[in-house]
Amino acid sequence: MKKIHFVAIAMIVVAIALLVNAAGDMSTYATFQQASTLDQKVKIAGQLAKDKEMVYNPEKDPNYFSFFIRDADGEERQVVLLAAKPQDFELSEQIVVTGKMEGDQFIATDLLMKCPSKYKDEEIYIKSEKSAQAG
Amino acid sequence: MEEIQYVGEHLWPGRIGHFAILTAFVAALLAAFAYFKATQRRETPTEYTGWRSLGRGAFITHGAAVFTAIGVIFYIMINRFFEYQYVWAHVSEELPFKYIFAAFWEGQEGSFLLWMFWHVILGFVLLRFGRSWETSTLAVVALVEAVISSMIVGIYFGGGEGAFKLGSSPLMMLRETMAAPIFANAEYVKLIKGNGLNPLLQNYWMTIHPPTLFLGFASTTIPFAFAIAGLWMRRHEDWLRPALSWALFSGAILGTGILMGGAWAYEALSFGGYWAWDPVENMSLVPWLVLIGGIHTNLVARSTGHSIRSTYLFYILSFVLVVYSTFLTRSGVLGETSVHAFTEMGLEWQLVAFIAIFLLMGGILLGARYKGIPAPAKEEATSSKEFWMFIGSLVLFFSAILITGSTSLPVYNKIMQFFDPTFQGRVIADPIPHYNKYQLWIGVFIGLLSGMGQYLRFREVNWAKNRGRFAAHLGGAAAVAMILTFLTTQWIEAKAWQYWTLLFAGIFTVITNLDYLVSFLRGNLKAGGSVMSHMGFGIMIVGIMASGLNQRVISNNPFIMEGLIEGADDESLRRNILLFKDNPMIMSGYEVTYTDDTLDVYTRTYTVNFKRKDAEGKILEEFDLHPNVLYDKSFTKIAASNPSTKHYLKKDIFTHIASLPQVEIDMEMRQQREDSLNYKVHEVLPYSTETFLDTVELRDQDTSLVKTYSLTLEEIIRNPTHPDYHPEAGDLAVGARIRVHRDDEDSTYTVEPMVALRGQLLYSYPVQINELSTRVRLNEEVFERVFTMEEELNYQEFNLAPGQQTTFGGNTITFQGFNRNPQHSNYIPEEGDLAVGASMLVQTPDGSQYPVEPIFLIRQGQPLNIKSEIEELGIHVRFPVLDPKTEQAKLLLAMAAPREAAIPIDVATDSLRSDYIVLEAIEFPGINFFWLGSIMMMLGMAVSMGYRMSQKRPA
Repeated sequence: MKKIHFVAIAMIVVAIALLVNAAGDMSTYATFQQASTLDQKVKIAGQLAKDKEMVYNPEKDPNYFSFFIRDADGEERQVVLLAAKPQDFELSEQIVVTGKMEGDQFIATDLLMKCPSKYKDEEIYIKSEKSAQAG
Repeated sequence: MEEIQYVGEHLWPGRIGHFAILTAFVAALLAAFAYFKATQRRETPTEYTGWRSLGRGAFITHGAAVFTAIGVIFYIMINRFFEYQYVWAHVSEELPFKYIFAAFWEGQEGSFLLWMFWHVILGFVLLRFGRSWETSTLAVVALVEAVISSMIVGIYFGGGEGAFKLGSSPLMMLRETMAAPIFANAEYVKLIKGNGLNPLLQNYWMTIHPPTLFLGFASTTIPFAFAIAGLWMRRHEDWLRPALSWALFSGAILGTGILMGGAWAYEALSFGGYWAWDPVENMSLVPWLVLIGGIHTNLVARSTGHSIRSTYLFYILSFVLVVYSTFLTRSGVLGETSVHAFTEMGLEWQLVAFIAIFLLMGGILLGARYKGIPAPAKEEATSSKEFWMFIGSLVLFFSAILITGSTSLPVYNKIMQFFDPTFQGRVIADPIPHYNKYQLWIGVFIGLLSGMGQYLRFREVNWAKNRGRFAAHLGGAAAVAMILTFLTTQWIEAKAWQYWTLLFAGIFTVITNLDYLVSFLRGNLKAGGSVMSHMGFGIMIVGIMASGLNQRVISNNPFIMEGLIEGADDESLRRNILLFKDNPMIMSGYEVTYTDDTLDVYTRTYTVNFKRKDAEGKILEEFDLHPNVLYDKSFTKIAASNPSTKHYLKKDIFTHIASLPQVEIDMEMRQQREDSLNYKVHEVLPYSTETFLDTVELRDQDTSLVKTYSLTLEEIIRNPTHPDYHPEAGDLAVGARIRVHRDDEDSTYTVEPMVALRGQLLYSYPVQINELSTRVRLNEEVFERVFTMEEELNYQEFNLAPGQQTTFGGNTITFQGFNRNPQHSNYIPEEGDLAVGASMLVQTPDGSQYPVEPIFLIRQGQPLNIKSEIEELGIHVRFPVLDPKTEQAKLLLAMAAPREAAIPIDVATDSLRSDYIVLEAIEFPGINFFWLGSIMMMLGMAVSMGYRMSQKRPA
């Protein structure tokens, strides 16, 4: 057997070891129910509960934004994002938050939004008078 | 239904464009076929040249058709023909011309055309200089072009809902792509306007990044074409030479394209970094890694005859991975895992076919020829350069596999869900550490290999003799690198041993390559490019470690942050700071002040001042940063927030606006807020003071606070100014200087609110006193109080020649003469005006004199006149007619009692301040090492390519 084959086999072994290891990085989207039993970071995909209160008061704390989302089981919980409120947040169709449950709240460290594509906007702008901007 | 005859549509560019795209498609197929036949018949010269001429003709026709299609799309974009869907979607009336290119390749169809454009250019180079490789390589290039053309031909087979669609044409009419009531109007063209380029993309990076990246993508096709050609014609050794130069070109360009993406993300987008392991970034990196692996095996193969098979494999895979990346980014399969937003064109299966065609072509051909590919029987010695270069290539390939695997998770999920609809998709919880933890070791290996490899020789020439020298240099370099690594860790914090190892590997490469350059090459440029690239890699590693590990959010303010959320102790997450206008905040040694903001059309640019002071308060350093936000067209939301960065040699300070007060984001909201304020009117006589009480209910208690306000009207201002007011001709404006005092505050505030009447619209410019949470504005009735209404005036007519006098209301009026350059507060001169002032002097019985000068004006053939007024006397003067024959002026004079009426002032005591920004600031130390190293890497490849090309071709 050639030396190169040893190297190749060694790499395959490393690759398998890494893949097994990497399996720990993968997870399915959790629900609030599961998140409250696990003491680790999870991802939750859900929809913004538009009827519930959304709080962002930069005057008080520019790093506190709270809202409610509905997870795959239909459960609604408050999510606190420790960052500024993202742009176009209200338009999002689906939200993926990463974080942990802390009591009743889900404390999120990261947030991804899926917004309706800007290009699919099927609204046709009609030429209009330049609207005066009141000062 | 009756067919509507639409008015004003420009149909002919669409017809030309459709025809051009169709021609491009058919000509590419024909070229591929003709070149294929030519290659097959290469042993019979007459047939060969015949097919080759046909191939050339077809390929040139294809090129011309591609250029025409691009030209047509630019033409309709420049002319703003919004009846075309592509123009409507990507261009708007106000889009500056410089963004037309960006708009062109914003859409998928445009970027396909850009890709094809580069293939045509590269194809022309092969056509002219390819010699014996022309027919075989161009057969491949033409086939690739045919497949890409098929993405934009837009042909439908069958009808109705189930029609099979081949490609999506960029020349569809808007009314063909969507149903909207407006298309019932035959004159709809006049009524629509474009959506315009996504504001996030309106910057110069969008003009330069895609063409570079697509040239990079297109250039990977050429080594692929050579690989196919080499297998096809069994010229397993010949193809290595031309392929190497092309691969080096491709490596340099594709690498530059990827870097530009990183630079864009860092400089212009608020990602807060240059690399985020986003699927889109990953999938442009992976083909590059494989290509670099290919370059190394190619070098080995050229020098020793080993690794020809892997060179084939790497070049084929590099191109197939480019196609796979196209599939991932354009099919919408990435969905929620990527921050990049992509349109779905409904071409998923066509994209899958694209991958399948070329993967099978390469795979089957390589399989069929595999046995015949020469490979030396003797294996590489462990002390030879080729052995370690091959290992290095394998490591790169390995890295590519790992990245592809993780990035393809959504594809895996899709496939699983296809078989089992209940399958729950898997996601990587925390992508950045996930990728970093593997790629770190790849970096270590590559760093060590590229350091050590330089000292080794191909076929281990004179190994026995050189062994000692090799060990000495290697040991010396390792020792120096270790010391430097230690010194570096004094500058940047690297907390884990893994980071130390990577840092060592990077520095080791820099040292060994430097040593190699000095000790062995002695200025010989043969390997100069390689030394430069590998040193660049090492420097880049140091830069990544410095800026990545030690990037520090400096915009955290301990006072606001504490104690708001229980259990949330992760301070590093609190990234934003609130800055009130003109209120300095201390953060990380800087005194930061938001001082100013200006609005230019849709862009609001903020000035944020940074000062660094020593212990005595002396300013050591001061600079301004200008992050900005871009409003959308309706001024109801922020479309983009663009960062601003201060560059030092050793570090960068990066800032962007993370948020703004809601009333500054949404102008409708601002109006609502203004309307909801509890304004109360107070009548104040000039030069007098009015006092009122304000009751503040205290929450949770049954008490209220009573505060006393006093308003003093100091002056009524006829030519008022306000930061938001931009005077226009014909405006009637009035302002007032008002002193405001509240009994519980020591200071008195002087404000100057104003109102302006423009045409029928009244604009009010209130003034906010933040310290009192109070807003003051002038009530609109102020006009009636300040200005005497024209209808109340009873004008008397006087016809006077210069020098004449008359009396009016007891005053002596002297008409002094005409003034050709009249000045008047309400007169803003315009081009072509004919304006004459009547200079007059009014003398009262008690002897005081008042000059006054009404204006007679001819503007665009219309006679106009501008009134003058002596407020103290209540005299109003007009100059409506100038008689050129008699040189007499007709003057109208009227008198009204001087006004001493009270001025209505609106005061709201419940107005919270809204002059703040939420800022994020990050310090990136050593980021310049990253840029320097990566640029050196690309330049090194360019140098190598230049060197290879300057060498004589074999006869």
